[in-house]
Amino acid sequence: MKAYIVKKMLALPLILVGVSLLVFVAIRALPGDPARLMAGPEATQEAVDNMTRRLGLDRSLPAQYASFAVGALTGDLGTSIKSKLPVVSEIRERLPFTIGLAITAYLIAIAVGVPAGMIAAIYRHGWPDQAVMILAIMGASIANFWLALMAMNTFSVQLGWLPLLGATSWKSFIMPSVTLAVLPTAVIARMTRSSMIEVMSQDYIRTAYAKGLAPGQIYWNHALRNALIPIITIVGLNFGSLIGGAVVTESVFNWPGLGRFLVDAVRYRDYPVIQGVTLVAVTGVVLMNFLAELLIAVVNPKIRLD
Amino acid sequence: MTIFANNRIWLLSSAIAATLAVPGVSLAATLNVMQSEAPRSMDPGDQTATYTAALLDPMYEGLIKRDPDLSLKPALATEWSSDPSGLVWTFKLRQGVKFQDGTPFDADAVVKNFNRHLDTKRGLAASGRLRTFLDSVTAVDAGTVQFKLKTKYPAFLALLTTGPCLMVSPTADAAGTIGSKAVGTGPYKLGEYKSGEYVLEVKNPDWWGGAAKGEDQIKWTWTAETSVMNMALQTADADVINPFPSAFAQQVKANPEMKLSTTDGSAVFWVSLNTKLKPLDDVRVRQALNYATDRAGIVKAFMQGFATPANSPLAPVTPGYDKSLAPYSYDIDKAKQLLKEAGYPDGFTMSTIVQEQEARIGELLQAMWAKAGIKLDVRKMESGVWSKAAFLDPAGKEKDGIGSAIASWSSGVNGADLQFRPLYYSKSASPAGANLGFFSDPKLDELVDKAASTLDETARNAIYADAQKEVNDQAPHVLLFTKQDLFATRANVAGVWVIPGGQVVVKDAKKQ
Amino acid sequence: MATARTDHTETEPRRRSATGQTLRWIAAHRSIALGGALISVIVLAALFAPLVAPADPYAQDLIATMEPPSWAHPFGTDDNGRDIFARVVYGARISLLEVLLSVGLAMVVGVPLGILAGMSGRYVDQAIMWAMDILFAFPGIVLSILIVSVLGTSLANLMIAIAIFSVPVYARLSRNLTLGLKSMDYVEAAVSLGISTRRIMTHYILRNAIAPIIVQSTLTAGTVILSAASLSFLGLGAQPPLPEWGAMMSDGRNYLGLNIWMSLFPGLAIMITVLGFNILGDGLRDLLDPRK
Repeated sequence: MKAYIVKKMLALPLILVGVSLLVFVAIRALPGDPARLMAGPEATQEAVDNMTRRLGLDRSLPAQYASFAVGALTGDLGTSIKSKLPVVSEIRERLPFTIGLAITAYLIAIAVGVPAGMIAAIYRHGWPDQAVMILAIMGASIANFWLALMAMNTFSVQLGWLPLLGATSWKSFIMPSVTLAVLPTAVIARMTRSSMIEVMSQDYIRTAYAKGLAPGQIYWNHALRNALIPIITIVGLNFGSLIGGAVVTESVFNWPGLGRFLVDAVRYRDYPVIQGVTLVAVTGVVLMNFLAELLIAVVNPKIRLD
Repeated sequence: MTIFANNRIWLLSSAIAATLAVPGVSLAATLNVMQSEAPRSMDPGDQTATYTAALLDPMYEGLIKRDPDLSLKPALATEWSSDPSGLVWTFKLRQGVKFQDGTPFDADAVVKNFNRHLDTKRGLAASGRLRTFLDSVTAVDAGTVQFKLKTKYPAFLALLTTGPCLMVSPTADAAGTIGSKAVGTGPYKLGEYKSGEYVLEVKNPDWWGGAAKGEDQIKWTWTAETSVMNMALQTADADVINPFPSAFAQQVKANPEMKLSTTDGSAVFWVSLNTKLKPLDDVRVRQALNYATDRAGIVKAFMQGFATPANSPLAPVTPGYDKSLAPYSYDIDKAKQLLKEAGYPDGFTMSTIVQEQEARIGELLQAMWAKAGIKLDVRKMESGVWSKAAFLDPAGKEKDGIGSAIASWSSGVNGADLQFRPLYYSKSASPAGANLGFFSDPKLDELVDKAASTLDETARNAIYADAQKEVNDQAPHVLLFTKQDLFATRANVAGVWVIPGGQVVVKDAKKQ
Repeated sequence: MATARTDHTETEPRRRSATGQTLRWIAAHRSIALGGALISVIVLAALFAPLVAPADPYAQDLIATMEPPSWAHPFGTDDNGRDIFARVVYGARISLLEVLLSVGLAMVVGVPLGILAGMSGRYVDQAIMWAMDILFAFPGIVLSILIVSVLGTSLANLMIAIAIFSVPVYARLSRNLTLGLKSMDYVEAAVSLGISTRRIMTHYILRNAIAPIIVQSTLTAGTVILSAASLSFLGLGAQPPLPEWGAMMSDGRNYLGLNIWMSLFPGLAIMITVLGFNILGDGLRDLLDPRK
């Protein structure tokens, strides 16, 4: 276990170097020139050249990467081309909102998805099963932005119950997090169902029945505990990807998170911001996967990690 | 990763603080303004975007300002005059004015403000316009500055009201903080800049003009979603929406809780034709495209009627605009005949590059031009990719087969030269400028140069009338329409107005 | 559970007719039947689009824009006055093509990579999985803008972008399947008989791993269309004037609050397709489950 953790920790920097190189090369392969975009359409070629020099984009690529890498190691991700603020402080300002939204969404998804999946498994092929599954798939088949806009129109404009935009009070979390939770709820419900069904056909569950344990006790203590493993895996994987921000949801709700930040940065070819956010997002994914694996080991000590 | 480590407590507390703190802000009377894009800089001289200019307007002032009737009035300069040559201008500065950081506003500050644009090493986004005609700025004494121009420039005074000529604190500029922390002399000063959320402006108690006339605070937010803009007005999350999406305009007009303002704008939309690419090098083909374009249809479908079909390369609000011109009617037969004369009786295939927001214009033209036998291949591009493709040189465009580009240009009310020179002047051929179709016409170049150095307005406008006719005849662009400036407010808001081109002015606006 | 259903069929009169058998099969595999029916609707619409929808999906009518549903236009008209019903029906062709291309491409790249990783020793395995982890962790927006920008905005490139997202999913799945199969007796026997690695990969591993991979592909088929819609939202979608459902929905969102039809009908079409593929996938999984 310890050896495994150490090994993973050692692999992390390697992944980060790979990712930083990849993102560095990738965004420079993007057509579009930040100097041209910043200087605006009216700019003369001279103005664009001056802007290029000012942004340090006239240096060689290895020199640019070196300064980015050295900066990143010392916790300095450079300065945003667009806002002229340090990228680190820009990310700090937004990270709590992104993580807050992700956590709320996943709490909702787990709170709804796990019981729904259990019910479906217990009443396999019965109407509750079919109802849950159809609802889950329907939830997973609506485009996020449309659901968000319809919710805004209904709950803010028509009914006036919830704030429309931004992150101004706890009520602001409701619509974005529910919108964001729809897809993971569906995934978790289906995952719970199939893994419960699998577990319930195992010998030790039959033994538990034979011993006369109450069904409720069997479901909660024995079945769910083992069914949790794939659920944790899937939550870990998908939650991590949210660290990069829920791009669409954040854009629609004017949520001050990393996803919207990243979209804007890509639009203006704000290289330092794209690099910084990507690095943070990838670190998030890797850490969350790692955490999920550890958690699985805690839930089921029989699993050896290496 | 310092971003993750040791920040857990901070993370939680700031998330809680963020959710709890903000309602308190709304205690002071706040005017909420929502625009379609985020500010690009807090430095007016380092941006050229209309909506950024609108946001910065309450905090900054120039030597001259524009009044709601669009006339030029004294601001930080009290009076000015030029020598007979029109090349040397002297300005008397307002006494006792201080920047919001305490730095005195004097001749030295003005000189520093212009020198940063003349210094090539700075590379500020808005320097380009000034550098074409401004030679030097010197201090005569503490309260007087003198401008030397390279050439006579009729739009000089008008330009002094725009971004690069707004006065920023030399102290903040030297410290390198002006890009993220605005320091001007205006009636409002920067309260808070959260680049992911809003810009909050608060009254400047030390403003030389006395108390600011507007609300205690102005809060700016932004979204790219048009339906969200409409919803924000419905819920009163926003008091002012600029620009207001034309699709919802009729709805707002019908609602007594809201007001819609429509005024003539200055953004001219066009299709720039690649005059170096066959068959568009033939003027008859370019004219045929003009005849095949149903401008009224585009105005109705794309702008819900809130635009004027274009009859000139200039917008109706631009000084020198000739409203009597009527170059191209919608006439498919005429288009077909011209194509036949040019040797394309069966039409031809061409491409156009377009950004997301104008993609529908491409779709509309595709259907219209198909009737004349022209197959238009619409290539929708992400904005960064588009600007790269649009500013290619002739060889690059030939290689990629780029026959045309759809875009718009707005020179506001600052003079016809700012429309003609970048778009049609031969030396502005891309990548040097925005003459995206490499149009080159010695006759037009001469007219543009002659007009630019003619100070007499009537004589100048006569030259511009010829220039407009020349552009219409040669048809380097398919001119489409001039957009109206639409903004909407809640019914209780008064005192908002707009400078043609879409720059909304809210510093005097009050909620009743 | 399973027994109850068998009892029920036993009590019915034993008819040997083809319809009877079909009905029994359908009763036993309701998911496959329902999912298959939904997908069939889409496929039929795609195949016989001109018959289903006589209107021209590209014909504009600037006099009749954004009309509500009527007899002439069952789904109304869009902002260019085009018949939404015709566009939705013709859009089925594009959506099915999207699914085929994206899923196919992701499988063609991901599955061999996964089998290779599973069969090879630790270093190749680790290298491939490391690359997949990076790809998976990479923010989708940056990746898709990158692909679409470098290759140009077009439907095909959009499909490549979406396929690349899901390569890691197939790689991981087939690697895990390979690891399981590798330890099976018959594979070990084949190895000891000296059968070439390539043959083992294709004949022993791939053949046995294909069922779960196909199930996975039906389950992800729906997400392809949704991803395309999200990319359209970000301005990276299909080129105009293609009636791609995601692009239509994304265009329609600009009028929400004024006109719902422009986004509702393509949205419903997406929902039916996703629903169909998912139900079909669930059914196939039950059918192909070796433990049953």
